[in-house]
Amino acid sequence: MKLKKFLLILALLTPGLGLIVALIGVAVYIAIAQSFGFYNLAGESGFSLEFWDKMLDRKVYNRAVAYSIYVGVISAFLSVMFAYPLAIWLRKPFPGSLAIGAMLKAPLLVHGLVAAFLFINVIAYHGVLNQLMQGLGLWDEPQRMQNDRNAIGVLLLQTWKNMPFALLLLTGAVQSISDDVLNAARDLGAGSFARFRKVIAPLTVSAMQASLIIVFIGALADFSFQVIAGPTNRQSLSQLMVFFKSSGRWNDAAVVGVSLMVIAIVGAGLLAAVTRFTLRGRVA
Amino acid sequence: MDGISARNLRMEFGDFVAVKDVSFEVASGEFVTLLGPSGCGKTTLLKMISGFVTPTGGQIHLAGKNVTDTPPEKRDTALCFQSYALFPHLTVQENLEFGLRQKKVGQTDRKERLDAVIENLDLSLHLAKLPNQLSGGQQQRVALGRALVMRPNVILFDEPLSNLDAKLRDQVRIEIRRIQRDFGLTAIYVTHDQAEALAMSDRVFVMNGGRIEQADTPEELYSAPKTSFVADFIGSANVLEAQVKSTNGNGEIELTTPLGRLVATSSNPPKSSKVKICWRPEHADMSANGENQLTARVKHRAFQGHFTDLHVDAGGAEYRVQTNKPAIREGDVVTFSLRPDQIVLLEAVA
Repeated sequence: MKLKKFLLILALLTPGLGLIVALIGVAVYIAIAQSFGFYNLAGESGFSLEFWDKMLDRKVYNRAVAYSIYVGVISAFLSVMFAYPLAIWLRKPFPGSLAIGAMLKAPLLVHGLVAAFLFINVIAYHGVLNQLMQGLGLWDEPQRMQNDRNAIGVLLLQTWKNMPFALLLLTGAVQSISDDVLNAARDLGAGSFARFRKVIAPLTVSAMQASLIIVFIGALADFSFQVIAGPTNRQSLSQLMVFFKSSGRWNDAAVVGVSLMVIAIVGAGLLAAVTRFTLRGRVA
Repeated sequence: MDGISARNLRMEFGDFVAVKDVSFEVASGEFVTLLGPSGCGKTTLLKMISGFVTPTGGQIHLAGKNVTDTPPEKRDTALCFQSYALFPHLTVQENLEFGLRQKKVGQTDRKERLDAVIENLDLSLHLAKLPNQLSGGQQQRVALGRALVMRPNVILFDEPLSNLDAKLRDQVRIEIRRIQRDFGLTAIYVTHDQAEALAMSDRVFVMNGGRIEQADTPEELYSAPKTSFVADFIGSANVLEAQVKSTNGNGEIELTTPLGRLVATSSNPPKSSKVKICWRPEHADMSANGENQLTARVKHRAFQGHFTDLHVDAGGAEYRVQTNKPAIREGDVVTFSLRPDQIVLLEAVA
């Protein structure tokens, strides 16, 4: 009877969940297999550590790993950092709060590529910002801001694009905290920061973790912002993967792809652990 | 003064005036209850004292210090919330310690205060539990302990017993009063339950429409209400209009009422030639020997055990009478008398 019920549930889930699992599973399997020499489209197929070995020795790969982690982590923290005060501010409705909330979430509707092109237009050498600053007499000559070496442009774009998503998750979580609980903390002597650290953050830790992880994974694997607004002296992992694929080096591309997946999983786990550790003893 | 002093407190929310120029004094160690129906302004007044609402006008002094614009975290008050407001992610012990850690109380002092509260409120078995693992009464005790451990100058209660069942409410009521006395705290207690107010308070402030209608001891409020609202809100009262016919030097006042001629005695002269008067249902004397004899027909009868509640018709209006004669039935004609000193003169009729 139990087996029958289990099979029934499995059968019911299969059309939806099964398709997702199959598609993801096939992609993951192919990528892993290719990274170890199987499904070689340009030579003989067979198990080999050669692609991993060579890739791990490449400077461009290691720089891409470090760069992608940098963009992923900083974007995740910046998005959550800006989303929290806004979520707390918008916790209670006030005249205009609906319009402000809608405006803040507008970036979700703008495609990343479009946003990147708009951004480039603004910060270009002869762009709007340079013209404005010169017009105001603040700058004597145009500044070169495009494709900056530290990827500030990419971080700005990532934060602009992902902050609304973090805001969506955090607003719901912050709204679920009762006024009385926050007032009680205040009554017991907790100032604004103490209330955030000891009450709001621990009670919204799950939303915080979800935001950090989702933004991190998205920014880690960013391609469009990087290609348009990123530094020219560095490549992100996805950029490197596309480069290898375009050169017909599928196995190398697979190594980079698997690296991205592993970093995403490990990074997400680490972010979740760091959040819990930071709020140790204060987490529900 | 060491307690609380409020002068001309006013709170406006747009066009709505929630609290209208309220002034009062609460002595140190006194237990005062703000009593009134929903929307009368009692919770707003409490929030002004605790600092969660800044008054539109007026001043509040705690222990002689003007705290009108002081935020709640800087006031020497502790508030017990109706919903308990325990931190759901912290254990009972962490909840109790929260305020002490905020105020950076030293470890020795913290332990000593915690131990006292834990023992006093019998919380030792629950220290490691989370609030959702406690019953309503236990949560209430933790909320009380969390406030008491701060040893505040003033403790404030916002309908703290409203979520408890009747039996538990009686127990916690006694406990709150005992602790307030033991710790010598000045307490302001908000409730809409008049029985709770009468049982617990040194004084009760009866509020109506954003004003304090009467501030008195429970006994005085019951026996000598000053307005028909207070008379009706505190216990039950038969309120009727009366024309003052004559007064004499002995405090005797002759009245013409829909029930006929009545004589009342009062140390204060009537406020107008036309006033409201009231009498309590239990003051009707069925032996009918005394003054102010009245005759009425019983419309409804409800046996209540130690007394019988009668709704009687007299002079075209309905009044309430309580008697210890259970044999009286609906339709019976009863005669009862009212002692002149138990007829209370209220406000003037506009």
